[in-house]
Amino acid sequence: MRYMWWLVRSQPVRVLRGSLIGTVWMIGLAVRPYLISRAIDDGLRAHDRRALALWVGAIAVAGFVLAYLGIMRHRTMTFVREDATARSAGVLVRHVSRVGAVLPRRLAAGEAATVGGADIGNVSAVLTVTGPGVGAVIAYGVVAVLLWSASPFLALFVLLGVPVMTLIAGPLLRRLESAEHVYRHQQGALTARASDIVAGLRVLAGVGGRGLFARRFSTQSQDLLAQGYRVGAARSWIDALTVVIPGIFLATVVWLAARTAASGDITIGEMVAVYGYVSVLIVPVWFLLEAAYQMIRGRVAARRIIAVLSVIPDGTGGRGDQPGPERPADLYDPDTGLVVPDGLLVGVAVDEPAEAVALGDRLGRFAPGEATWGGIPLAKMALDEVRARILVADHDSYLFAGTVRETLRIRESASDAEIWTALRAASAEDVVDALPDGLSTHLVARARTISGGQRQRIRLARALLAEPDVLILIDPTSAVDAHTEARVARRLRSARAGRTTVLVSTSPLLLGEADLVAHVRDGRVVATGRHAELLDDDPSYRALVARDADIDDDAAERGGVRR
Amino acid sequence: MADRAAVRRATLDLIARDRRAAAVVLALHSAAAIAGLATPWLLGRIIDEVSGGAGIGTVDRLALAIGGCVLAQALLTRYAQYAGHRFGERAVARLRERFVRQALQLPVSVVEHAGTGDLATRSSVDVSTVGTMVRDVLPVIMLSLAELALLIGAIFLLHPLLGLVALVGFPTIYAGTRWYLRRAGAAYLAEGAATAELTDALTTTAEGARTVEALGLADERIRYGTERIGHMWATRRATLALRSVFFPVAEGSYALPIAAVLLFGGFFLDKGWFTLGEVVAAALYLQRAIGPLDQMLQWIEQAQRGMASFARVLGVGMVPPEPRGESSTPRGERLVVRGARFAYPEGHDVLHGIDLEVQPGERLAIVGPSGAGKSTLARLLAGIDAPREGTVSVGGCPVTDLDPAERRRRIALVTQEHHVFIGSLRDNLAFAAPGASDEQMREALAAVGADWHTDLPEGLDTQLGDGALDLSAADAQQIALARLVLADPHTLILDEATAALDPTTARRTERSLGAVVAGRTVIAIAHRLNTAHDADRVAVLEDGRIAELGSHHELVAAGGTYAALWRSWHG
Repeated sequence: MRYMWWLVRSQPVRVLRGSLIGTVWMIGLAVRPYLISRAIDDGLRAHDRRALALWVGAIAVAGFVLAYLGIMRHRTMTFVREDATARSAGVLVRHVSRVGAVLPRRLAAGEAATVGGADIGNVSAVLTVTGPGVGAVIAYGVVAVLLWSASPFLALFVLLGVPVMTLIAGPLLRRLESAEHVYRHQQGALTARASDIVAGLRVLAGVGGRGLFARRFSTQSQDLLAQGYRVGAARSWIDALTVVIPGIFLATVVWLAARTAASGDITIGEMVAVYGYVSVLIVPVWFLLEAAYQMIRGRVAARRIIAVLSVIPDGTGGRGDQPGPERPADLYDPDTGLVVPDGLLVGVAVDEPAEAVALGDRLGRFAPGEATWGGIPLAKMALDEVRARILVADHDSYLFAGTVRETLRIRESASDAEIWTALRAASAEDVVDALPDGLSTHLVARARTISGGQRQRIRLARALLAEPDVLILIDPTSAVDAHTEARVARRLRSARAGRTTVLVSTSPLLLGEADLVAHVRDGRVVATGRHAELLDDDPSYRALVARDADIDDDAAERGGVRR
Repeated sequence: MADRAAVRRATLDLIARDRRAAAVVLALHSAAAIAGLATPWLLGRIIDEVSGGAGIGTVDRLALAIGGCVLAQALLTRYAQYAGHRFGERAVARLRERFVRQALQLPVSVVEHAGTGDLATRSSVDVSTVGTMVRDVLPVIMLSLAELALLIGAIFLLHPLLGLVALVGFPTIYAGTRWYLRRAGAAYLAEGAATAELTDALTTTAEGARTVEALGLADERIRYGTERIGHMWATRRATLALRSVFFPVAEGSYALPIAAVLLFGGFFLDKGWFTLGEVVAAALYLQRAIGPLDQMLQWIEQAQRGMASFARVLGVGMVPPEPRGESSTPRGERLVVRGARFAYPEGHDVLHGIDLEVQPGERLAIVGPSGAGKSTLARLLAGIDAPREGTVSVGGCPVTDLDPAERRRRIALVTQEHHVFIGSLRDNLAFAAPGASDEQMREALAAVGADWHTDLPEGLDTQLGDGALDLSAADAQQIALARLVLADPHTLILDEATAALDPTTARRTERSLGAVVAGRTVIAIAHRLNTAHDADRVAVLEDGRIAELGSHHELVAAGGTYAALWRSWHG
């Protein structure tokens, strides 16, 4: 509620203008029946052509004034809504961008989409209440006064009758909504299935089974059809009720008014006006009912937005602000006993993929750990400094939608020449060359349009361009062919010359280029040395990385025993 | 994309297929509208009677008649709506089923060139937009049109002159609507796209939050998001500008016919052409016409958008389905490639004359740097694309001439791209071999090393995909391989089928697969050299040509690129 109030407070003039125009417009709706009644009474019945022309002219003018007020109201309220939407979206964008790695852990997948899509809109819709909502209440009062002057008895009947009627009809429509809910849900599932089939067309083309899928879809489509008939039956009755309830009410009003007119208490023009007022009154009353419903929905949406906004970074294991080592220094992970000497290319062969990821998280302080850098615990350093100087490039490193250049230019200063250098180091020039517009080619989120190996090389180029003091690469070439992997290994070495690089991988092509290789087994470093030395001296290392078929089988057997 | 004439034909066809129902709907709606018109007419009668000094008894009778008409209108509306709803549901069901049937018949090459993204939009957005149009929008528009026509007709019945006068005001509405519709479609599409982009920006930022933090991309993401907000604001202003012209023109015109009828009636009341009650009734009819007019103008933009979607849905059916192929039956399983050249549209040759023979039961590994044309060669072998020059044949028949179903039974292609369909694990396997028993499926899963299936809560009945159990890329790929085992083709083409798996799983999967493929022809594009090491022959593809071909030992002995690679691999 406070959140919505904030959205209102941010644009007081606009909201005020909306209320004003909204009020005048709603009152204006009541003017037409009044003018028509005067035209009938003073003009037609009195056979007074001048009066008739006057009143008819007023009807035409009022029509255009009303149209003008209507559009001004619509414009003002649209601006009020859009202002709120932009404000909510802005707050969300800033928060989501700043909060960082903790977000995916706290927020269920797809929730960001709901919040960013429907919820923002639902909250904004509530603001509509501020303008026309106020107008609706005032318009109701004005019509009440007009009616009272004609006939207090009829006035009482209409003023009480319209809200009662709306309160009866309103819930009916809500019930319809819940009846449709099942249908919509089923329809959504069917749409998902159609998209699913389309997405899998290439698989079906490779293996077959198209007929089966077509038949299964038809069956489900027919189920939905049956459900649709059920909804149709319920819906049509409700439609009929929405005709009957106001219709009977109107008939009653006409009947009472006609009796009053017949006895001479009101004029015929007034009788026609009463008929008109009933249909005019329905507008503000409906509006208030709708507004109440929007408020309920808006509150739920606002609560969800607040939930996202209240996710705060957890600081991953410490909030220190100690400065890091002035010059790059040795990195040490006590959990495994791994030492990464400054300025070297260090290979780490880990037997368990999950352990490899955990190691990266500790060295980059994405998870609590006791890792130190030049003797200073990472947890005691300011997080911003850790992020700026140590980069963990993992498997799932995200590629945002944008041109290749935008994706790679993570430093403002990076020139195209530097980008090409990094692409060359990652052996990814051919990836960009094959794209229709080179660096200016637009890639979708996660770069789904290019192959896994191509994506991996783009990610590697990006990590190189960040030029961190320490670069931790986790399986950077697992999806790349052997030719390219060999090339990447050689170029990576010269690209990172003099700076600390950790290569977590089991590929002999990569490890062969490392200055030093550590073999981590069961969570501890069991051997350290050059790749070739370890191959000769450490049989379990050989089993892990050298992919000869025969040795491999041994390893598998041993692996089987260990598990 | 279908053109206007085709859309019109299809729309008429939609109605013609359910002709009787359509007629019933129209008749019921008209009857309901006539009953609804009785109210203003009876009110006019009351006025005349009261003016003539009639008593309360007449008023009571006429008021009762109004009540009766309302009830009749309600009942007729109910059945009209129900019949309309059923008609709409049937039409939508027919449409979506036809769409899926046609999408399933699309040739693979068309699917790939159009991009799955485009087809996905058609299947999700367009099909449901058309659904909304047929189910919700069209009935409202038809109903409003019918009501409007009847109202105007009723005024003509009161007196033809009053009817003619009432038509004042409609030309401006028509002109305004035309002006609006010309511009609205594009403007609303842009608005929808801009909104989706903002949602997308938020979603991807949230998904990639860790990367944003790791690479310090927060400012960049904020800039991007703010830009999207600005864009959305601009598109919404554009649609608002359109409405700012259209709404006042239309709404302002509502009062014109009423004013005209009253003025005209007043001036000629003395002539005795019509009574006071008739003039009032005409004015009330016109006041009543505002409802359907408003409805129609509100929905007409959506109807237009629905028609655009309809054109896109129909477009899918206009692509000729995959050719049936000739009925020739291949003799044997030998794959022969002769002088094959291939170029993608808009590009130079990717393959420059490939000659290759693969014997039944042989295991051939294809290695080479990325971009050498390995995947393209795999597609030619699988018959997905035809060579621009030269031939690819199996048992003496060109592979592209085989009936697609027959071809898939013989040659299966598995790529890195995997897809888990919505449905049970059983559904995900069964379509590859409809007759397979549960036991065979479990064996197939075990054969590809997917031991995890035994841990699933409901075994083969476990629901997978979209919202249900989400499998990792590795598990999904194992399902794809298990399908192959079940499909039992004589030739398997594996295009880096295990590249997406982590190294440990990949090796386990490859080893299990080794047992399964025994006795079949296997052509494997491999990025791990141990696959090449185990193969009978290795082909090294470089720049669209076969640079080296021979057994692993021959190639290592020859001392070419393969030998160099192997040495650095082997350490």
